[in-house]
Amino acid sequence: MDELRVSDIKASEVKMEGDTVQYIVIKLGNEQYGIDIKYINNIVRMQHITRVPKVASYLKGVINLRGEVIPVMSIRLKMDLPEDEITKATRIIILKLEQHGTIGVMVDEVKEVVTLGVDEVEKVSYDGKEEKPTFISGVGKHDNELISLLDLNAVVVEK
Amino acid sequence: MDVNQYLEIFLDETKEHLESLNTQLLKLEQEPEDVDTINEIFRAAHSLKGMAGTMGYKRMQALTHDMENVFSEIRNGSMKVNSNLIDTLFQCLDALEEYTSNIQETADEGTNDNQQLINQLNEFLKSEGNAAPADEKPAESKEEVVDEAAEKWKDIKVGEPERHVFTTAKSQGKNVYGLTVYVQEGCLLKAARAFLVYKAVEEKAEIIVCNPSAQDIEDEKFELDFSLLVISEHSLDEILQAARSVSEIEKVIGAVYEFEAVVIDESKPVQTLETKPAAASQAQSAPAKTNDKKAAGKPVVNRTVRVDIEKLDVLMNLVSELIIAKNSLVSASNTEGVTGSGFNEQIEYLESVTTNLHESVMKVRMVPIESVVSKFPRMIRDLSKKLNKKMELYMSGEETELDRTVVDEIGDPLMHLLRNAADHGLESSELRIQRGKPEVGSVYLDAYQDGNNVVIEVRDDGNGIDVNAVREKAIERGVITAEQADNMTEKDIINLLFHAGFSTAKQISDVSGRGVGLDVVKSKIESLSGEVEVRSKLGEGSTWTIRLPLTLAIIQALMVTVGGEKYAISLGSIQTIEDVNPSDIKLVQNSEVISLRGSVIPIIRLSKELDIESSKSPDDNLIVVIVKKGEKLAGLVIDELMGQQEIVIKSLGKYISKCRIISGATILGDGEVALILDANALI
Repeated sequence: MDELRVSDIKASEVKMEGDTVQYIVIKLGNEQYGIDIKYINNIVRMQHITRVPKVASYLKGVINLRGEVIPVMSIRLKMDLPEDEITKATRIIILKLEQHGTIGVMVDEVKEVVTLGVDEVEKVSYDGKEEKPTFISGVGKHDNELISLLDLNAVVVEK
Repeated sequence: MDVNQYLEIFLDETKEHLESLNTQLLKLEQEPEDVDTINEIFRAAHSLKGMAGTMGYKRMQALTHDMENVFSEIRNGSMKVNSNLIDTLFQCLDALEEYTSNIQETADEGTNDNQQLINQLNEFLKSEGNAAPADEKPAESKEEVVDEAAEKWKDIKVGEPERHVFTTAKSQGKNVYGLTVYVQEGCLLKAARAFLVYKAVEEKAEIIVCNPSAQDIEDEKFELDFSLLVISEHSLDEILQAARSVSEIEKVIGAVYEFEAVVIDESKPVQTLETKPAAASQAQSAPAKTNDKKAAGKPVVNRTVRVDIEKLDVLMNLVSELIIAKNSLVSASNTEGVTGSGFNEQIEYLESVTTNLHESVMKVRMVPIESVVSKFPRMIRDLSKKLNKKMELYMSGEETELDRTVVDEIGDPLMHLLRNAADHGLESSELRIQRGKPEVGSVYLDAYQDGNNVVIEVRDDGNGIDVNAVREKAIERGVITAEQADNMTEKDIINLLFHAGFSTAKQISDVSGRGVGLDVVKSKIESLSGEVEVRSKLGEGSTWTIRLPLTLAIIQALMVTVGGEKYAISLGSIQTIEDVNPSDIKLVQNSEVISLRGSVIPIIRLSKELDIESSKSPDDNLIVVIVKKGEKLAGLVIDELMGQQEIVIKSLGKYISKCRIISGATILGDGEVALILDANALI
């Protein structure tokens, strides 16, 4: 099957401290985002997505994941970014969320797994003036790069 | 009442009792005086008789009845156990076993009366009862003396064996009482009340004679009273008290029962039997023969196992996976060009096995709706009294099968609709006569299978729905505004009945009309992925149609493409597939229709419904799939036909639930997901 196991991804600098969270770093355009690994069920290669008519545009359709029909959404469209360009690096991350069940999200690329300590994460204070809804729960610093940590419930929730 | 559903229980219990009788009889032969053993035997024989009677197995009942008489004599000590008697009783058990195995194989006890055995038993009894030959007459003459009609127990004809029992009881210092119980007029469950009285009395006393028989009482074959002759150590008052403690009992009267004592001659030897062994062995050989003949037949009743429905769901899922795997194999063999006919043969074989497997699993989950609808005739009878309207319920299609989970849920909605029909639908008797209708109103409940659906119709020949009344009510209740009402069709207005909190009954009655009802009915049926619809003609009656999916998991479907995308349409809803020239499409009220074999059918362009470009040019002939929903037809325009396929229905999940015209998804042989079009929602 067109799957990659999470463990296959090069785990760089796994810290063994107590208050740490592991994130999978993905790329959307030029930005890096982190997804809490505990919500990730699977990462699969891009495959044929069956379009479902009459649903929100960010819902790309459904795929077959080992006999189960799973809805797939585009984070780009949800975040009002330009539409996905399907490349060889495009992946579908299968998330398992308590409220919404299993759902797939399309990302441009999966880079690595990072472990961030609590002290390496800065909470984002909500700015009331901002028009766009925020999908970020915090920003992590790793190797002098910033990783925006995705608030998955905000990403997945229906508009 | 159909007793077939109890057949398995009957067989199980009968076998149990026969086994216990066998062991106890052996014990009795060893210890002829053991009271516990005798009691145990008597109980088992009594239960057997009762069960055989309930199930309508007369021959079995007759034989056990005579056996019971013998046991009762033994129990009373008026008959001695000897090996001849035991032999005969064992033969009786063999005969009973033969009946039982006949019942298991053919649901019928067979035609062997075992008269010889019964005669033998009676010989035993007679040889004991000879001592009191002339007792019958005095008892009968006594009937004439009875002047107080209420004391009906005095009318009971008492046979010799009973008088023996009474005599013995009396000699043991017990009392013999006669009781007559009067059930209240209008008591709904006479049989149940009588049974409670019977039980209550049984705790205090031993019931020797019951008139009418216990069996008739159980079947409600009695008027308002029944009489008992009992023996007891307790006082009469205590027994009367026990009987009166049951509710809905008018009165219980009783007194000491006077009877002609029987002289018991215990020393009288059993003679007649010595001449019988030949006959006995004959009787034994006869059943053996019939057994051989029937052994080859297939048993009517199979052993059953209760299975948790969740386990069946798991099984069903596995079957679904198997079918998907099979479909993958089929498509792999097509695309990868596997050669050799042997491979294709095996694929076809696999296909037929999976189809059969699927059908079997589905059948396991299917139960007839009979279990739900069988309570309705009684309900309508009660309603008829309560509402003071004459009505009759006609049912058909009770054998129609539905998935277990659906059957469990459908009872309440049907009851609502029937009550509605009885209360709101049917007019009062006077009005019916005035309108020239038959005085007795008719309510129909029809169930039948229609393609992949099961349809249940509740119909009445009553007043029908008064559209104007509904409209006024709706405006009054603020459900719609007056302007809105003007723009609504009759059908739309009738559908307002399903609106929450809507009730048109002018008088809120006990039966229906509290404003909870039709909206609940609708949501319940929709939760079962069904639909409910109503048609009505003022003055002639209304028809409520419930349409439920027959299968919930796997269906035969037609695969089509629209704009390059694959879709499945359930084969059950498809009538025909037509090739239509674009020039044949006409416009009626700005919507496209075709005229097909005399009927005008609206055309639905799926490309438009699915927001996709059709891959065909407008000048090409159209492929139109004619689908049916109840009486309505519609033509779905598709691009290409792909063929028929067995598909496994998968839910799209909560996340994508807003799409009404898609009822689910399925996984094709190549692993791709195809959506299932809901033809019912499109029409």
